[in-house]
Amino acid sequence: MTPRLGLSIRHHTGFTYDGVAKASYNEARMTPRSLGTQQVQASKLTVRPAVPTWTYTDYFGTIVSAFDIQETHPQLEVEAVSQVESWAATLEAPLGWSELRSPHLVDRFSEFLLPTTRTAMGEVADLTAWRNLPDVHQCVEAVAGFVRSEVSYVPGATTVSATGREAWDRRKGVCQDITHVTIGLLREMGIPARYVSGYLFPAIDSEAGDVVEGQSHAWVEYYSGSWTGIDPTNGVRETERHIIVGHGRDYDDVAPLKGIYQGAASTQLGVVVEMRRTH
Amino acid sequence: MAVKFESDASGAWNEMFSAPGQARPVYERLLADLDAYQPQELRARSEQLSRTFIDRGVTFAHSGEERPFPLDLVPRILGALEWDRLARGIAQRVRALEAFLADVYGAGRIFDEGLMPRSVITSSPHYCRPAFGISPPNDVRIAVAGIDLIRDEHGNFCVLEDNVRIPSGVSYVIENRRAMTQAFSSLFSDHRVHPVDSYPSRLFAALLAAAPRKAVDPVIVVLSPGVHNAAYFEHVLLARMMGVELVEGRDLVCRSNHVYMRTTNGERAVHVIYRRVDDDWLDPLQFRPDSVIGVAGLVNAARAGNVVISNGIGNGVADDKLVYTYVPEFIRFYLGEKPLLDNIETHRLEDAAVREAVLASLADYVLKPVDGSGGKGIVIGPQATKTELKALRKAIAAAPRNFIAQRPVALSTHPTFVGDSLAPRHIDLRPFAVNDGSDVWVLPGGLTRVALGEGELIVNSSRGGGSKDTWVINDEAVAFRGAVPPASSRPRRHGAAPRQNDEFVGAGDEQ
Amino acid sequence: MLSRLAESLFWIGRYIERADDTARIVDSYVHRMVEDPFNDESATCRSLYSILGIEVGPERLNTAETLQTIVYDIDNPNSIAGALNGAYENARRSRDYISSEMWVALNTTRNELPKRESRARNFGPSTYLGYVRERAALLAGLTDATLSHDDGWRFLVLGRNLERIDMTARLLRGRVVSDENAPDWMAFLRASGAMEAFMRNTREVDDANGVAAFLMLDRLFPRSVLYSLNLADECLVEIQPVSQRISSGDPARQALARARGMLEFIDPRQLIEQLPELLEMLESTCFRITDAVTDRYFRHEEAVAWIIEEGL
Repeated sequence: MTPRLGLSIRHHTGFTYDGVAKASYNEARMTPRSLGTQQVQASKLTVRPAVPTWTYTDYFGTIVSAFDIQETHPQLEVEAVSQVESWAATLEAPLGWSELRSPHLVDRFSEFLLPTTRTAMGEVADLTAWRNLPDVHQCVEAVAGFVRSEVSYVPGATTVSATGREAWDRRKGVCQDITHVTIGLLREMGIPARYVSGYLFPAIDSEAGDVVEGQSHAWVEYYSGSWTGIDPTNGVRETERHIIVGHGRDYDDVAPLKGIYQGAASTQLGVVVEMRRTH
Repeated sequence: MAVKFESDASGAWNEMFSAPGQARPVYERLLADLDAYQPQELRARSEQLSRTFIDRGVTFAHSGEERPFPLDLVPRILGALEWDRLARGIAQRVRALEAFLADVYGAGRIFDEGLMPRSVITSSPHYCRPAFGISPPNDVRIAVAGIDLIRDEHGNFCVLEDNVRIPSGVSYVIENRRAMTQAFSSLFSDHRVHPVDSYPSRLFAALLAAAPRKAVDPVIVVLSPGVHNAAYFEHVLLARMMGVELVEGRDLVCRSNHVYMRTTNGERAVHVIYRRVDDDWLDPLQFRPDSVIGVAGLVNAARAGNVVISNGIGNGVADDKLVYTYVPEFIRFYLGEKPLLDNIETHRLEDAAVREAVLASLADYVLKPVDGSGGKGIVIGPQATKTELKALRKAIAAAPRNFIAQRPVALSTHPTFVGDSLAPRHIDLRPFAVNDGSDVWVLPGGLTRVALGEGELIVNSSRGGGSKDTWVINDEAVAFRGAVPPASSRPRRHGAAPRQNDEFVGAGDEQ
Repeated sequence: MLSRLAESLFWIGRYIERADDTARIVDSYVHRMVEDPFNDESATCRSLYSILGIEVGPERLNTAETLQTIVYDIDNPNSIAGALNGAYENARRSRDYISSEMWVALNTTRNELPKRESRARNFGPSTYLGYVRERAALLAGLTDATLSHDDGWRFLVLGRNLERIDMTARLLRGRVVSDENAPDWMAFLRASGAMEAFMRNTREVDDANGVAAFLMLDRLFPRSVLYSLNLADECLVEIQPVSQRISSGDPARQALARARGMLEFIDPRQLIEQLPELLEMLESTCFRITDAVTDRYFRHEEAVAWIIEEGL
């Protein structure tokens, strides 16, 4: 496998306060990790006001930068810059259904088979037809395609705290919601599925050096003998343009920036993701 | 007053008598001593005891009211030989639970070996993913354990449940002994009762041993949710007797993964936190953000190795009653030993066949929620109404993981001072174990809880239970009984009141 | 020591003293309120309220309600029962620090109050007030005899003395505004427990200036303002971290020094004319010291609500 895409990613986010915040404690999950399909060459996370950050790897393997700010501050900014080499995964032959449903695998992946508040769907669709598909990959594609056809991608349609079921009921949502819905259905069918938080590089045809506006993105990985990615929002499999930051049972395990503080109400600063091909 | 044998219809084991007129050897002397008292005299002493408790604030908060935890005048006695067996069984269990927690929050060998399904853990509400990667410097996650025991119809002690989160009640053990030595000093001069007042120094030593290696002169604190907590008195007592600060969340602050307490002389680093705050409320960054009694950033400070949280975060997974059913396996697997203490016969309801069998005769079982403590949510089949059983059946069908079924065990009975006479009441036992990393020490005796209602089987303080001073006595005192000189001419061994001059508030049902 | 603990001790000192002083002041009114048939009930009650610094509306006041508010109402932190309850609540929070004898004394006092109250309703408030004074004396004695005289004790003594200055100032003000319903100078002396000490010193009981000077300036009588100021200052000096060899301009000590300066250099014979001004100064001094001490030593977060940052 040869690297196909080199990217420089700048992810900028933060909050501004009506007045000031003090005693703020945060965890950022904004640093891509090295995996089979991507190699992180450099990464750096900076916080303003300037404070030291401390890094650890969480239960799901995501790199976490933790920091606290004690001085009063009117605004909090976090910026993560990384250089990543990425290539597309090859699709491997899936396990058969009987293997996938063996007690051993069911237990091993129980965490990614149980519903969470975010992914519990209830009986919203008849899954029988897909269950009868012989090939797990085909089945997942069909489910993802179904979700994509039912739930339209509408930026701002839901808030960050929405559950998959809420988005489903409105039939619209953002990538986070479409991912939750897909995960919920896959789990109901007994396919281990997990949430992926990362970035999507939108302009494969851009020149090296051009800065393009990218986005924070979410998609699905399911287990079919190995973890395999699929992007239900865009109706594609995971490509070299998908850069992975972390995994979890749902959004809450991999929220890019979560924190608590004392002080005045806050407003999100808006997320900026800039991406640039390096080669 | 004379104590008579009263048989119990339930077939329960009688702690004091083996047959009418036939006292068990460890109780012989006590019976003789009690004979010397008139009922009115016992009543007066009993009233005096409860008044002392109220004056000294030896109470626990229940429904917004400070109540004393009634202390029964008749002590429960265990012979040293029997106690030794129990203590070894408890220590063994604590060592196995330690190994299990290290494994669950580490390599997960027990799952790889197929001895326990991973799903038991991943579905447990107390499985704490943020606890992953926090490794205690001396490998101790269970500094204090309260292993609840009951004695079954055949006289065997069985484990009822394990409490390795924040087991409470040890303050009653200390305070009951203190009250009894004052009210009944003569009894103590006739018995060689193992003392209980070394508990705080044992706990202190264990906390000191748990300190981060880099802390030169470790500072230990007791973290309490505050005065409104049911067990506040216990927090006060332990802090005092260990000579450490009793802090609340607002006294502490985390900066760059170090924890400090706010003093009149500036901030002072803290290295070991004996916390009496639940996981859920401990760190608003990791757990409930609405917690105002926790310390933001505490979990990461522990992860960075700058502070030790004791008992460990995520220990609740070992208290899960479904996990309880696997503890004998743990002992065999991790320790390569044979369990010295049995579990009560328990059925896991996730297995469809087992579930069907239990549901078919639900009235023959005791059903317990897997994450309940303090007797909450327990349904005793033989005593349940049809409506209760119906609701239970529905709840089990909806979430079989949330319950276990146990054989109803008639808890042993012990003569207890009720009204103006002695009557049998059901009791259990909560011994306390302290793990300093090299040794698990078990406090001799522990807390005997007594259900004060006739026939009542649930002994928790929140259900109107009381307690008994629990004595471990040297059996040879019984063997040499004839040769024991009169009390006045013997040196007093344990007759003196414990040294501490502490106050006592009751511990409620933290666990 | 823990800031929160220091604050609790400071308030234990203040509250016990407040209960004691309030009991003394009420006692000096009781004769008029309960026993004097010619007394203007409403005006006397109003006078008592005003001495205690409690604002009341223009309505007619009666003795029973007034005693309820000032003596028995446990929810009012300025009442006697309320102050004892405040001391108890703070003692609960500092129970790992104070001596068990202090704790038991406070706990039993609080448990005993309802019984004393119902007895007082039948036999008049004097027994209740006497009980409170006795318990306050017991608590003060236990404080001094069973606590180590370390910073914790100093915060407690500091609180006690600030409260005492505040109350003595209030007591004198009742006289200064020449309120005819206020007790006379003799009653004041009795309320302050100063009767004998004063008589031994001077025999001129009708000399208003002499009484005021004694309560304000006497260097040996422990309830005089100057005496309390000196004690408070000693506490502040010793509480200060030893490392600070150069005075860091402690605002609490500055306020205290100003008050002491004014009292030290006053001509006792002209005290009565300057009394209104001095009393006002003393009240504001007490406020300033409390603020400064709180700011410097009692810094701890109140239980704060955290706000979740929700973001992408």
